[in-house]
Amino acid sequence: MIAYLTKRLGLSVAVVFLVVLMLFSLLQLIPGDPATVALGPRATPEAVARYAEKMHLNAPVWQQFLIYAGNAATGDLGIDVFSERAVTTIILERIGFTLALIFAAMGWAMLLGIPLGCLAAVKPNTWVDRITGVLSVGTIAVPSFLVSIWAILIFAVNLRWLPAIGAGEPGDTADQLTHLILPAFAVGLSWVGYLARMVRASMLEVMGETYIRSARAFGLTQRRIVFGYALRVAILPTITLIGMGFGGLISAAVFAEIIFARPGLGKLIFDSVMARNFPIVQGGVLVATSLYLVVVLFSDLLIAWIDPRVRDSL
Amino acid sequence: MDPVLEVRDLSVEFRTARGRIKALRNVSFSVQPGRIVGIVGESGSGKSTVLWSILDLLAGNAIVTGGQIRFEDRDMLTRSTQEMLALRGEDVSVVFQDPMTSQIPVLTYARQMRDILYRRRGLGKARKREMSVEMLDKVGIPDPDMRVDQYPHNFSGGMRQRAGIAMAMLTGPRLLLADEPTTALDVTMEAQIIHLLREMQRETEATVVVVSHNLGLIAELCDEVVVMYAGEVVEAGDVRDIFHHAQHPYTRALLECDPARIEEKSHRLPVIPGDIPDLVQPPQGCIFAARCQRVMPRCLTEAPPLVEDGQGGYARCHLLAGPGHDVNWPPPPEVLTVARGAPATTGAKAVSSEPLLEIADLNVQFNTMGPVWAKVRGVKQPWVTAVVDASIKVHAGETVGLVGESGSGKTTLARAALNLVGSQGGSVRFEGQDIRGMAEAAFKPFRRDMVMMFQDPVGSLSPRKSVRALITEPMKIHGIRNVDPDHEAERLADMVRLPKALLSRYPHELSGGQARRVGAARALALNPKLVIADEPTAGLDVSVQGEILNLMAELQAEHGLGYLIITHNLPVVRHISDRLAIMYLGRIVEEGPADEVFAAPLHPYTETLVRGVPQPDPDRRRTHVVVKGEVPSLLNRPRGCDFVSRCPHARALCHQVVPPHVTAGHRRTHACHFPLGAASIPEKEGSSR
Repeated sequence: MIAYLTKRLGLSVAVVFLVVLMLFSLLQLIPGDPATVALGPRATPEAVARYAEKMHLNAPVWQQFLIYAGNAATGDLGIDVFSERAVTTIILERIGFTLALIFAAMGWAMLLGIPLGCLAAVKPNTWVDRITGVLSVGTIAVPSFLVSIWAILIFAVNLRWLPAIGAGEPGDTADQLTHLILPAFAVGLSWVGYLARMVRASMLEVMGETYIRSARAFGLTQRRIVFGYALRVAILPTITLIGMGFGGLISAAVFAEIIFARPGLGKLIFDSVMARNFPIVQGGVLVATSLYLVVVLFSDLLIAWIDPRVRDSL
Repeated sequence: MDPVLEVRDLSVEFRTARGRIKALRNVSFSVQPGRIVGIVGESGSGKSTVLWSILDLLAGNAIVTGGQIRFEDRDMLTRSTQEMLALRGEDVSVVFQDPMTSQIPVLTYARQMRDILYRRRGLGKARKREMSVEMLDKVGIPDPDMRVDQYPHNFSGGMRQRAGIAMAMLTGPRLLLADEPTTALDVTMEAQIIHLLREMQRETEATVVVVSHNLGLIAELCDEVVVMYAGEVVEAGDVRDIFHHAQHPYTRALLECDPARIEEKSHRLPVIPGDIPDLVQPPQGCIFAARCQRVMPRCLTEAPPLVEDGQGGYARCHLLAGPGHDVNWPPPPEVLTVARGAPATTGAKAVSSEPLLEIADLNVQFNTMGPVWAKVRGVKQPWVTAVVDASIKVHAGETVGLVGESGSGKTTLARAALNLVGSQGGSVRFEGQDIRGMAEAAFKPFRRDMVMMFQDPVGSLSPRKSVRALITEPMKIHGIRNVDPDHEAERLADMVRLPKALLSRYPHELSGGQARRVGAARALALNPKLVIADEPTAGLDVSVQGEILNLMAELQAEHGLGYLIITHNLPVVRHISDRLAIMYLGRIVEEGPADEVFAAPLHPYTETLVRGVPQPDPDRRRTHVVVKGEVPSLLNRPRGCDFVSRCPHARALCHQVVPPHVTAGHRRTHACHFPLGAASIPEKEGSSR
């Protein structure tokens, strides 16, 4: 177990290191002097020189990289070129909104998708199954930005039930929650379909296993068999899918955050790319990657927690 | 006394794409309280369908078209779902076939057993756990208090089946159903489980219904027997009457085909020719008529009469009553009623003096962890040795049986000989040339001369290729172009007696015996000299396995093939082998001429295998279990002799020193410090290699 954790953490560190390397090289590959790129074409030579000095731009490239990587490791992701605030601080301000969106979206998708998948698997080839199937494929096929726009048009513009844009007043939790509903709905919708399909497929397989027939032969109730026995095994591949899905959710959140004008990490990265604000792009991508790695590791550990065979083989 | 279970005129059909399969037709039998009744039949006989009908747990496409299943005077088929839930696991419980797949892998035994007790609301969690621990203790699980919190994968195969019996007996059911309870287990485990089932029955006085194809199990365990064929009961009666005075030609044929019943060594095994009829349209008249040796014209048109023997037994056959009555039927037991065919070889087989395959001191190791991690943890030997100093020779025209339980390393040895796994020491010679560890490119020509017949006949055939493509595939692989593939396919089909109409079929359309034939044709496509056959009869019905083995014997006689047959089934292999090698934990513990090894084993493990097989004779029931425990893991090989942990004759020396291979008498070797019957065999110290 400890060996496994060490190995996984070591691998995660290696991935983060590679990402840092790529982000760093990106800046080197952009034509022109990084200081000019950062400060713009109209910066004075003095300003450029001061910036170059501060950013160690005169040191050899490998030294620059080591300085950057070392700083990143200690949580210092550099300074925003425009506001001169620490990138780490800026990201920390924004990341809460993105995390809330992702978890709310995946949360409602799981709460709806997993039971739907179970239902479809337990009653295969009935109208419940068919409707679930059509809805699943439908929601998977529609891109989330389209859902976002329709959601704004229907629920915010026409019905006026929910606010259209922003993330709500700081400190007002109720207001923030109402602002979360539409984006979470838009981002999570296709995941309802994904999860329902996935759970249905693996449930159908597990329901055909010999040990399910054993449970029936021992007189266990259908509810206990489905939720206590079959789902426990069938959920395992779904957990992996959800873990991997967080990577996709981060990019889906970019669309939603732009459309709903939520001040999240996705919007921050998008704006910074537009403004050529590279320290923030670098820092944002790095944080998103690390977040993803943590979630994947967590999902693998969750599987080990549920499945004793996996646990014992670690 | 009123029967506990009474099945009356039960008929079950399965809806399939081909039409309705009439899987059970008017099946009737009854089970008296406290009796053990065996339902015996081959695949397709409908014996499992009966069992699942009793529990109302048939597959979704099954329809019960008629009949009654009365359990304690109420019809199961009219009970509500709620009533069935209250009954299953509580009054009627089941021991399942394969303990590897019938227990949920993600829940502890404590939880699984607590769930079975869910109807006992008055009992607390702690009490339910206590009951589970007691029951595990009763079925012989050591440290039950600790084991109850473990998962199925922490248990070995035999232990799992013990736990499965514990789960079934937990609620004290009045009727226990057992579905092939030992089929997935090794011979030594089988004996222990039969013993345990009998003990549990005696103690709880439960009524037991056992479903099995294994005549030995039925003879050893049951009081009464119901014989089924193609969805009908053909004969029923007391176990002694069935085994000693079988009335129905099918029962008689089934018993005669069982290799364990044939005392003298026989290169030709008896078979029941033909296949089970298509049950979408069952034939008129007698269901067995098409395969019966004594078929009469009326058998094809008229349903046979039910003839009672006056002691509760009965059989359905025209030979027993009516115009077709034959006073001389059944013939005395020593007369063979089924076809055996002419012996393939007259006199001695032509066995060459130079060995075709010569394996000497072969060792195969498998790594248990990566080299880096082993360094970190300070493990000096990060591997297990699956094959230890194995030596074996196969001559042209000779059949060598390599026998051992699962985990004995027999398949690994074969794979190493074929260069399919790496080996770490020793030598493998084919026609004198050392081929061990040869690069694949250099080895490829040898693959034409030494081939493998794989264990799982359907699983080892690509499901998307036709039989024609499959049996000519070896020619494609070896780039042989100057032959007409269609002609070759027909030649090979002829060779393995495969009907040519099957050439355009796909593997899933073949029966088990037909798939074996395709496997044999593939192996023989390139005229090999040596065939290594991995469990050639596993999963085949008794009446069919003879056909495959007879075919192999014929092909050997025709082409002078050398055979290395890997199997766990000693009774079968001893009939067709010239020599036997017995393997245990990766070591060959005994080797010698087949009849001598079988008649007078030198190594206690060989004796275990010989005596361990349940005899298909109710008068020869064993009263005690020869060997206890299970094959130890390779990870903790016992000190001294590998068999010491289970050997009934182990002495102090056995715990300390690994016994060397010793040549004893004529062409026999063994690895035992104190060989059985040693006094009678002149012994000569020295290595056999």
